[in-house]
Amino acid sequence: MSILSARVWSPYAAGILIGLLQIPAFLLMNTALGASSSFVTVAASIASVFDPAVNAIPYFKAHVSTAKDWWQVALVIGVALGAFMSARMSGTLRPAMSELWGRVMGLNFPMRLVVAFAGGFVLLLGARIANGCTSGHGLSGLSQLAVSSLIAMAAMFVSGIAISAFLKRA
Amino acid sequence: MSLIPAILLGLVMGAVFGLALEKARVMEPGFLIGQFQMTNFIMIKVMLSAIATGLVVLAVLHGLGIVQLSVKAALVGNMIVGGLLLGAGIVFAGACPGTALAQLGAGYRDAWAVVAGGLAGGYTYGLYQKEIDRALDWSGMGLGNLGKMTLTDLLPGGFVTLALVFAALIVVGLIALERWRPWRVEMERHDPTGGPGRSPGIATGYAAPAE
Repeated sequence: MSILSARVWSPYAAGILIGLLQIPAFLLMNTALGASSSFVTVAASIASVFDPAVNAIPYFKAHVSTAKDWWQVALVIGVALGAFMSARMSGTLRPAMSELWGRVMGLNFPMRLVVAFAGGFVLLLGARIANGCTSGHGLSGLSQLAVSSLIAMAAMFVSGIAISAFLKRA
Repeated sequence: MSLIPAILLGLVMGAVFGLALEKARVMEPGFLIGQFQMTNFIMIKVMLSAIATGLVVLAVLHGLGIVQLSVKAALVGNMIVGGLLLGAGIVFAGACPGTALAQLGAGYRDAWAVVAGGLAGGYTYGLYQKEIDRALDWSGMGLGNLGKMTLTDLLPGGFVTLALVFAALIVVGLIALERWRPWRVEMERHDPTGGPGRSPGIATGYAAPAE
């Protein structure tokens, strides 16, 4: 239990463990680790409650039909559960907002919610345009030497580095 | 796999993923922005370790013919513009799609807004997929769809050889990076939950890290 209640792990240990998750992903689900398409699955499912016609839109139809889609939704819910257990057991549960936001962007909590929503919007719009995120392209795509992922990750670091340069130090 | 076992498997795998993301602090907004500002290299250490591990895993599984690769098509315009937006989103969200959920689990309540924005963003792409993809089809400039291209199409040696070579190169790079920036020092300096030398107050929030 000491491993689970440890406050921090070596980034190398964490990375190796995450990399090993590709084994069950490929062997049992015939897919690679990913996170961003689950947002489409959930959004389309919520929208279809109000408007069943949503399910006829091809992109949504392709994201709500297979066990793989719901495996990924379960995966990201599991991420939240795992992070909760980890923080709970090591006594590192976080406050409502990282104090970082006040420091680098001068945000209070309500303003942070607005920026967070806008940031989340751009984040998933970009991830879906690129057909993958830091997990799907960064971890899984690069583990397969995919050219698509090399381009997407290079672009991600270029804009992340450029925009962060205008912020105060994190 | 049928639905229920797939969901149970997803929950278990996700819990392991979330545990690793929290323990390595790579879900901290300050660690992601710190990586972009080159003041904290823990994110790239986690990513490269995971990639090197994945390369070895796939060299074995794919090399033995047990699994098929699952490579995404390289639509150049989509990759560039999507990647640029992804990077901008990470800065303002303080999270990637996966780590937003880890933040939420660890207690950051602003992560709910990131997730809500993400649902809206993913939904918006679905609504305008045709238009967006058409605008980003740069075939006219020779930057259209390169297909499911991998480095095995560009470099000599098959997947197994290249995967092991790149894994080895990553390990060498990480050893050098670790010598230059030891992770314990970075963790001690940047971990917002405080090290043994500081006293994190769960109820009161955390003291700002010492500069």
